[in-house]
Amino acid sequence: MEANTGNVKKNRDRIGVILYVVYVFLLIASVVLFGKIVGIQLFFKPDPKIEKALRPESRSRAIEPVRGNIIDCNGRLLAMSCPTYQIAMDCTVMREEFAKDSISGPVREQQWLAKAKELSVELAKVFPDKSADQYWQLISKGRKSGKKYLRLGKPVDRNLYNRIVQFPLFREGRYRGGFIAEQQNIRIYPYGKLARRTIGFVRNNRSDVGNTHVGLEGKFDYILHGHEGKEWLKVTDYGRVLDNDSTKTRPEDGKDIRTTLNIDYQDIAWRSLYNEIKDEDALEGACLVLMETSTGAIRAMVNLYRDGDSPDFEEVSNLAIGRSIEPGSVFKTVTLMQVLSDGHIKSLEQTIPTNHGNIKGVKGVPQDVHIADHERDHHINSISVLDGFKISSNYVFGTLAVSNYSKKPMRFIENIHSYKLSEAFDFDLAGLAAPTIPSPKDKNRYWSLSDLAVMGYGYGVRETPLHILTFYNAIANKGKMMKPYLVEDIELNGVVKERRGPALMSTICSRAVADTITRALKAVTEEGTARRLKDARCAVAGKTGTSFGTYADGKYKDDLGRRKYQGTFVGFFPAEDPKYSVICTVFSKPTSRSFQGGGIPAKAIKNLVGGIYSIDPCFQPTLTAAK
Amino acid sequence: MDKTWKIQDLGQGLKNSFHAILKGEFLLRLNIGRYFIHIVYAFFLIAMVIWISLMIESTMTKVERNKAILHELEIVHTQKTFDVVKLTRRSSVNEMLQQMGSKVTEPENPATKLK
Repeated sequence: MEANTGNVKKNRDRIGVILYVVYVFLLIASVVLFGKIVGIQLFFKPDPKIEKALRPESRSRAIEPVRGNIIDCNGRLLAMSCPTYQIAMDCTVMREEFAKDSISGPVREQQWLAKAKELSVELAKVFPDKSADQYWQLISKGRKSGKKYLRLGKPVDRNLYNRIVQFPLFREGRYRGGFIAEQQNIRIYPYGKLARRTIGFVRNNRSDVGNTHVGLEGKFDYILHGHEGKEWLKVTDYGRVLDNDSTKTRPEDGKDIRTTLNIDYQDIAWRSLYNEIKDEDALEGACLVLMETSTGAIRAMVNLYRDGDSPDFEEVSNLAIGRSIEPGSVFKTVTLMQVLSDGHIKSLEQTIPTNHGNIKGVKGVPQDVHIADHERDHHINSISVLDGFKISSNYVFGTLAVSNYSKKPMRFIENIHSYKLSEAFDFDLAGLAAPTIPSPKDKNRYWSLSDLAVMGYGYGVRETPLHILTFYNAIANKGKMMKPYLVEDIELNGVVKERRGPALMSTICSRAVADTITRALKAVTEEGTARRLKDARCAVAGKTGTSFGTYADGKYKDDLGRRKYQGTFVGFFPAEDPKYSVICTVFSKPTSRSFQGGGIPAKAIKNLVGGIYSIDPCFQPTLTAAK
Repeated sequence: MDKTWKIQDLGQGLKNSFHAILKGEFLLRLNIGRYFIHIVYAFFLIAMVIWISLMIESTMTKVERNKAILHELEIVHTQKTFDVVKLTRRSSVNEMLQQMGSKVTEPENPATKLK
């Protein structure tokens, strides 16, 4: 018994000792481990590279908002965002690997170069600025000199990118074929040059051109751009993923802008004008604006300008709003409205003495040769206001201004102000030039009766084509002047967020006065200076005007006797019930040729009227089916 | 009877604890067995947190991959939209008709509406 007890005790002690030793060992290990943890946590400074690799920081990523589209009045896309790809090549790929492999390396290098030669042939097909040989030289030289980035051609669209990816060598990817494609979002315009200046653009701030925000893109950039979002990413074994422990700011996409432009009308307007001016070397530029009479909505705005020695006209300058010029005879309608509204003449048939074309009491104003012709042709010494308007007589309208407003010139000026012809009103495009209207109250310049006389027929004042069109549109709209506008509303995913639309600026004359002026304007297109429009597809009422640009010395002619012509036709159609108002102005370089308002502008508008007449619903006759 | 604690009691407690640790009786003396199920539960929760975290990472990876696919599809859609819209220009349609030798041209008169 004792022996047994002694054995058990002995065995237990042995097992106990073993377990105790194991226990002590683990205890010591845990103490060491604990001490190590404390040491690592408080005192250990790891290698920064290892620390960075093992503990990657969350990185913030800006989320670009989708820029809003610009659409026409029927919802057709005018401007949208799309990525382009700049293709480049790393010429050094696999070079080191081939060099290290002394057995098969040289053969594989030759195979690589053979594929590069095939690639050169394909590149020359898509980027014809260089031949296949030139591309081959670039790639082979680049490989020898260790060029890691060889830029190839211009940025390409997605379709071409898909083709290039399949080219020999490039189809092997980045690390074997050296294919590099850098994506960048750009703005694209499906209708090309149509309304490019009106649609505009936004340049980045690195551009050396001062004007970085142009057209609707520029003016409404704050709406189109949207707001950037932000998210945090962390690196995992699966790659860079969204850090779900962090906050995320969603981007706010830009809103769409629905414009008043009708791209079909814009195309017709562009063709109508471009076909008339494309062969005219003496022209510097031209503009054409089509406006809906009842609302002031601009349906087409063409601006063609020849920059420097450029052989072709491009949409590079908004002449319709940015160039204020002496309007010439189209301003006679302003004088006519004044004398009719103020009751100085009772009818268009009222006559005034011809006086051989010299305005009484006014010196320094040239004689009106049209009046001398009129006296000779009709054997009379008086002329009606209507006839004066038809032949666009400077004398008649100079006389009307002087004889009725010489004692109260400010009344004449105030009338112009009330017709909104003296202010750069708020418009949907930046850069609307302010008109210039001289005034007797202006202390910086000498006022004389001749100022009033020349203002009567459109000199001495400066107006943009848009101001003149807005005035004529008011006549077509029976005296109600509508504010011209280009943005119909602002939308997000097809839902209207802000409605803009038509706005009445003021009522500038009575319905009776508007009707009387319309009759005079119709006479101009039927028997006057715009007879060219007599056989237009529908009746057009309007007025021609020709003025001369001034040189730096203030003269209208240079030393060679050359003038800078500014020919305008402005009017509306159909004359009986106007739906559209239109203006076309051409600007010549210094030339000995003549560019009258009744010439190219009238022809362009005739073409435009023909094009619109055949497709606009307002001209469609209705046929009622018999019951 | 209230016991008054002294500094040497703390020293005695530490000494006893040390001896208990050496003997491997420390946890038994604290009667930790009462909380065994809680400890196991805590370990289970910790394991779940680690497992869910890994699942989230995996899902987020799929999200990123799908985002890239969606982005590619958006690009293709935009490019196709652009190509189609470009063809709707009136002059382009006229040119294409002419090239095809079609007799269809711009209308010369407005269409008649039937009522």
